[in-house]
Amino acid sequence: MKTLKLGAKYRSAVCDTQIMVIRTVPEPLELCCGGAPMLGASDAAPEAAALDPAFADACLIGKRYINADDRIELLCTKGGKGALSLGLVKLKVKQAKALPSSD
Amino acid sequence: MTALAGDYARALLTDIGAQSAQIAPFPAQHPAVSWALSGAMALTGWPDQPPRMCAAPLAACGDGVLLALTSISEHPLPAELTGSKLLGERAAIAGYGRQGAVSAGGSCRFLQAADGWIALNLARPEDWDMVPALIGRDIEHDWSLLSAAVRTLSADQMVAQGGDLGLPIAHHRFPGEGRPWFEIVREPPSTAPTHRAHRPLVVDLSSLWAGPLCGHLLHLIGARVIKVESASRPDGARQGPAAFFDLMNGGKESVALDFANTAGQAQLRGLVAQADIVIEGSRPRALRQLGIWAEDLVLEKPGLTWVGITGYGRTGDATDWVAYGDDAAVAAGLSALITGPDEAPIFCSDAIGDPLAGMHAALVAWHRWRSGAGGLVSIALHDIVSHCIAFGGPLMPASAADRRLTWQQVLDRQGVIAARPQARTAYCSARALGADNAAIFAEFDLPC
Repeated sequence: MKTLKLGAKYRSAVCDTQIMVIRTVPEPLELCCGGAPMLGASDAAPEAAALDPAFADACLIGKRYINADDRIELLCTKGGKGALSLGLVKLKVKQAKALPSSD
Repeated sequence: MTALAGDYARALLTDIGAQSAQIAPFPAQHPAVSWALSGAMALTGWPDQPPRMCAAPLAACGDGVLLALTSISEHPLPAELTGSKLLGERAAIAGYGRQGAVSAGGSCRFLQAADGWIALNLARPEDWDMVPALIGRDIEHDWSLLSAAVRTLSADQMVAQGGDLGLPIAHHRFPGEGRPWFEIVREPPSTAPTHRAHRPLVVDLSSLWAGPLCGHLLHLIGARVIKVESASRPDGARQGPAAFFDLMNGGKESVALDFANTAGQAQLRGLVAQADIVIEGSRPRALRQLGIWAEDLVLEKPGLTWVGITGYGRTGDATDWVAYGDDAAVAAGLSALITGPDEAPIFCSDAIGDPLAGMHAALVAWHRWRSGAGGLVSIALHDIVSHCIAFGGPLMPASAADRRLTWQQVLDRQGVIAARPQARTAYCSARALGADNAAIFAEFDLPC
């Protein structure tokens, strides 16, 4: 369990997925990908970690993933095979917004 | 050192291999005068101060691009259509004026960081959602609060973080070495037969200004253009001034597809397969996620010319970065050619990277199609601005200030003042979204 920091990057221990924290809560969370806890910049990868087939829905670069109460939002900065979850509860894709009318 | 439109046209034609084209006579206008008369100068500076000189010959470059384009077209552009005047068209229609450290369009701002300045473009209210991740803490949607928060942060770190977040952000800097204005990313080993007699089909997948302007210019010189938009996320410019959308897109047929399902993706592939020229304005990963790989298509269909317009190009990390015209120009060092290091930076004209990129894209796209060379051509807004800056000759900060002074003196001697931005009138309204779906699906037998 860890308290996620805004703007921090985490990587999957079992696939290529990388995310960045867009919104979070002050409480510690069990952020997982592919069923295994995600690693922060200073965390070492565990020895024998395998992608849990129950969490293999894939994470797509550029997509944003939110939890059920929409207080946690993660941006996928590198795609991979694992699905994002908080503990056993998978995050879902946030719907894309309209494109800007001008720049 | 003066940089003239005719010389720029000649240089561009040489770069694309069309050096034998005959360039129409064009007045040898001093770049400072072109700048003042283009409307872009009036869009540069603080609202309560006189407009500013820019030490880059951007308006002359704009004139040069269209001179080059017209010289290789069977249907030349109307003589009154000069590239320099296009720079201010959007502002003229939308009623934008110069706003100093805020872009003319209003969405991009200079913010002072601990170690320099950044330009951050937040074009939609939803972009503010990414700002907490940019600065590492929660913040209300308020520019003065953000300005205070940024003051203690590192510009380089914010630009790197912003890149990951897909936020258009740039580090204010002095221009570096001039970049090439286009890159041939992939081309077939042999040339296709040239098609001068047939009217090319352009499939325009782009939005906003740069890409649509490219499609508009190709239409003016004789192409058939089909504008393709996502049915659920159409070109955001439809929400902006109708006169501008009509000007950029009038004369194009309109197809709306549902990119989210396999039928829509198949229709998109079917249309792209018919194209002689494709204009893409999104990051490469967007179409790749739909199963469309430009790199493969240009090899499979020799002669297909695909122009991909991005902020920073299609290779390396830059392929994922987002940019709009104002911030891409800052990244290329343009704002440092307007104010000196002891003055706060300000924006140059209105999203100037966009019209410059659109014009250059049309030139290379038309030539590659016409010559049968085809291939995937990358146009990066940053590199276009960098290239135009370099055309003015080598610069150091001190010599840039000297040049601004000298060029302003040219205006003073000739009694030239900064003209207001002007816009042409659209010759017809743009088609409603998807108005031509049925006809085009039937014509090209697209899967339904």
